[in-house]
Amino acid sequence: METPAHVGFLRHHRYRYLKIGLILCALSLLLYAIHDPVDGPNGGTWLGYGLGSIGAGLILMLSWLGIRKRRYRGGLGQVKGWLSAHVYLGLALVIVGTLHTGFQFGWNVHTLAYVLMLVVITSGVYGIWAYAALPERITALRRGQTRDAMLAEMAELNRQSIAVAQALSSDIHRAIARSIGRVRIGGGVIAQLFGPAEPARQEFDDLNRTLNVRADTLMAGQRAESEAESTVMFIAGQIVKRAGRDEDEAAHIRQLLDILGRRKELVWRINQDIQLHGRMQIWLYLHVPLTLALLAALLTHVISVFLYW
Amino acid sequence: MVGAGDAAIENAIALSAANQVTIINRGAEFNRAKDANEADILKAIDTGKIRCYYNCSISEARLTPQGPRLAELALKTAEGTAVIPVDRVIARLGATPPRAFVESCGVQFPSKDPNSVPAVSGVYESNVPGLYIVGALAGFPLIKQAMNQGYEVIETIEGRKIEPADAPLLRAKFAALPGFKGDVDDALASIKDRMPLLASLTALQLREFLLDSNVRVPKKGEAIFKRNDYSDSFYSLLGGGAQIEIDPDDSTKRIAIKPGEFFGEMSLISGRRRTHTVIADEACVLVESPRRTTLKLINSVAAVRRIIDETFLLRAIETQLAKGVAPADLKMLAGSATVHSYDANQVLFKEGDPGDGLYLIRSGSVMVSHTVGGREVVLAYVPAGQYIGEMALISDTPRTATVKAAVRTEAIRLDGAVFAKVMERYPQLARRVRKIHRSRIASNVEQSVEPERSGVISFLMKQGLGEATDVLLIDESLCVRCDQCEKACASTHGNLSRLDREAGPTYDNLHVPTSCRHCEHPHCMKDCPPDAIRRSPGGEVYISDACIGCGNCQRNCPYGVIQMGVESKKEPSLWRWMMFGGDEPGHGDSHEKGIKKAAKCDMCKNISGGPACVRACPTGAALRVSPEKFLKVSHGRWES
Repeated sequence: METPAHVGFLRHHRYRYLKIGLILCALSLLLYAIHDPVDGPNGGTWLGYGLGSIGAGLILMLSWLGIRKRRYRGGLGQVKGWLSAHVYLGLALVIVGTLHTGFQFGWNVHTLAYVLMLVVITSGVYGIWAYAALPERITALRRGQTRDAMLAEMAELNRQSIAVAQALSSDIHRAIARSIGRVRIGGGVIAQLFGPAEPARQEFDDLNRTLNVRADTLMAGQRAESEAESTVMFIAGQIVKRAGRDEDEAAHIRQLLDILGRRKELVWRINQDIQLHGRMQIWLYLHVPLTLALLAALLTHVISVFLYW
Repeated sequence: MVGAGDAAIENAIALSAANQVTIINRGAEFNRAKDANEADILKAIDTGKIRCYYNCSISEARLTPQGPRLAELALKTAEGTAVIPVDRVIARLGATPPRAFVESCGVQFPSKDPNSVPAVSGVYESNVPGLYIVGALAGFPLIKQAMNQGYEVIETIEGRKIEPADAPLLRAKFAALPGFKGDVDDALASIKDRMPLLASLTALQLREFLLDSNVRVPKKGEAIFKRNDYSDSFYSLLGGGAQIEIDPDDSTKRIAIKPGEFFGEMSLISGRRRTHTVIADEACVLVESPRRTTLKLINSVAAVRRIIDETFLLRAIETQLAKGVAPADLKMLAGSATVHSYDANQVLFKEGDPGDGLYLIRSGSVMVSHTVGGREVVLAYVPAGQYIGEMALISDTPRTATVKAAVRTEAIRLDGAVFAKVMERYPQLARRVRKIHRSRIASNVEQSVEPERSGVISFLMKQGLGEATDVLLIDESLCVRCDQCEKACASTHGNLSRLDREAGPTYDNLHVPTSCRHCEHPHCMKDCPPDAIRRSPGGEVYISDACIGCGNCQRNCPYGVIQMGVESKKEPSLWRWMMFGGDEPGHGDSHEKGIKKAAKCDMCKNISGGPACVRACPTGAALRVSPEKFLKVSHGRWES
């Protein structure tokens, strides 16, 4: 069989670390099942100490990824291997850590360390999903453009829309200028993750409708009916009935509609792009600080255990 | 600015930053200038930065004490006269020798070629006794040459015997020659005697060629270069012997090279890896000449070009195609051969054409495609050193596929009838060609079944990868946009990343970032004044410390992968950043001040473990591939 050109981190080395993780979990569960200490399962038995030491070792090793990946000149193993181990051994840590507690929980620093560990792992699970699911969506959305290129295209569409609107009435010009000012790109954390609020949407739809009606009216060679919407009336009321000029104006309006449509789609794509990037990175803002908190809690847990033993 | 050459353009563009510049061109184009300069001046004229008068000459220049400017220039243009007020006139008329004048003095030129220079003796005396020619007029464009030569001429005229300025340098080089007694002229004469290739050089051309070359005396059994090395220097065998290993699997199969012969021309011409290992024999004495020097010689001496081309042809046919064919038959094959060059996308032959020839790709690469349901499906990519078109010769049917150049390509065409005749006489040759033919049919069928591969190959070719030797690709289905690749590059290269991950085109999740592809014939190498851009034996094209920061390579690179910047000398410390903040490794800009120099990917040739960008990728999205692997990449095996 032909070997693949490359392999992603989840399949690294034919799932080496998945296998190691599974063996570790199976062994821990097996020993936990047959081990029957007099005062019930807890962290103080030989198995408890064993699992605790393995767990603490794993936590240190998993945290070391942050160092290893910044050692760009190289170091032990490949970064991809480290990430693969990070994922699978991190998941195995749920079993090892939980069995280490012997299901004895309380309002203390020991349980705090355990809870922090679970939160860190949970955020990591989200990370695995994000890394697996989002990259292709970004590529599809980008259509080969960089974000800068998309922003430049938007600026260009804005410029074109203003130029075309200039040939139309001053009201349309004003409406276009206002709609440019109201375009929302990115924003705060919430806006980045869930898309920005769109104050301009209603207005955009209105503008669109107005322009459409106006163009139809011009092409039909009719004055707008008096029942029509007030903005439409206003614009329609200024029609000078000269066939050639009407056609010109209609063509300009069609052009404007086309530009606005393209811009709307582009703004949507840029915001989606920001959103996807945000969703791919946001979890690290939880994962990394909580890891540091976990390390501190773990240290306290270990010291207090030995101190009050 | 009067003139349309490089000097005029460079001056005009530099001045236009703070001045109103008008450039006066006697002709209608700027095609005498380097490509990059031509593009720059046309852009400056287009954008209105510089005004240009074409097809005009200056009829008068006069001071205007009362005018708005110090002076004015009257121009004769196609539309009549024009007057432009000026503060300063700079004439950059160029160094084209006034040949008519020189000839009127009785000096003879060796040929009608406008680039030819008058023949002069070793002391720069022309055919007119007492008339000496030095510097650009004699074909030596550098100031230092003209100064040294001028000094030598004066001393000669004064009757003092003077040793040329390059003699000590040549003496040092010749010290390695067995039996060298210290007389440079003797050594030069003996080299010329022993090397028929160099026989047509003038004394001065030979000196110049040898000044850039080195004498090597390898021990018996030592490998001069190995198969798959990426070296590109050219070797002339002065004495002793050398052996070419023609079969990589059997080192006893060898062809002997005799004194007076040369080798290494294959990689020089194709820009590809060495195809064979060459081993030194008893008493081997070599002259090793760098690529640039050899190319210059090939381009300036027609006889050298002819000899090298002929030898290349013969050897290429023998080693790639007709191993074990008798010399007489080889000669017959070579006699039927013609060399053709093609621009990118030019067609070598079309589907349905009569199959009457076989093509050996000499440099560049080609794409094989055929039309399925009105749509072009790319079947294969064939790099330099391989041949194409054998199918029609064997099955005696019209061409089943279209072959076109992926980049600028040179191919040797062998006549089909002659080849068929030779094949009849050598059954093992026929067997070999048939075997390759069968495997190609099989892979073509497979390829037609998987049209997505075809899309990937034509995409890669469109990105100019037909001339790449090693390229960074990113599988965007795995890329989490963490920019670790860029950070790793910056961190290991003085905070100056040579890679732009986000920029560049994408097709079906396959992304070609802006990063060096280490071209076969690197565009960046074309015009480097200090010859600072080199190719290492591993194939990496890198820029040495000799860089003077002129920016020619940046302008010449069609892929925009060279940046000008100042590398920082220190790498930020990881622990200091973690504990106290400051510059994160790979994140900060280089804060260094100084002369900006060219920076490009060197494939981390000085770092053990290979390219940092690929090694730093946490998800396995980044990979480096050579053209031979493009097919594999296109296999749809983007496993994640």
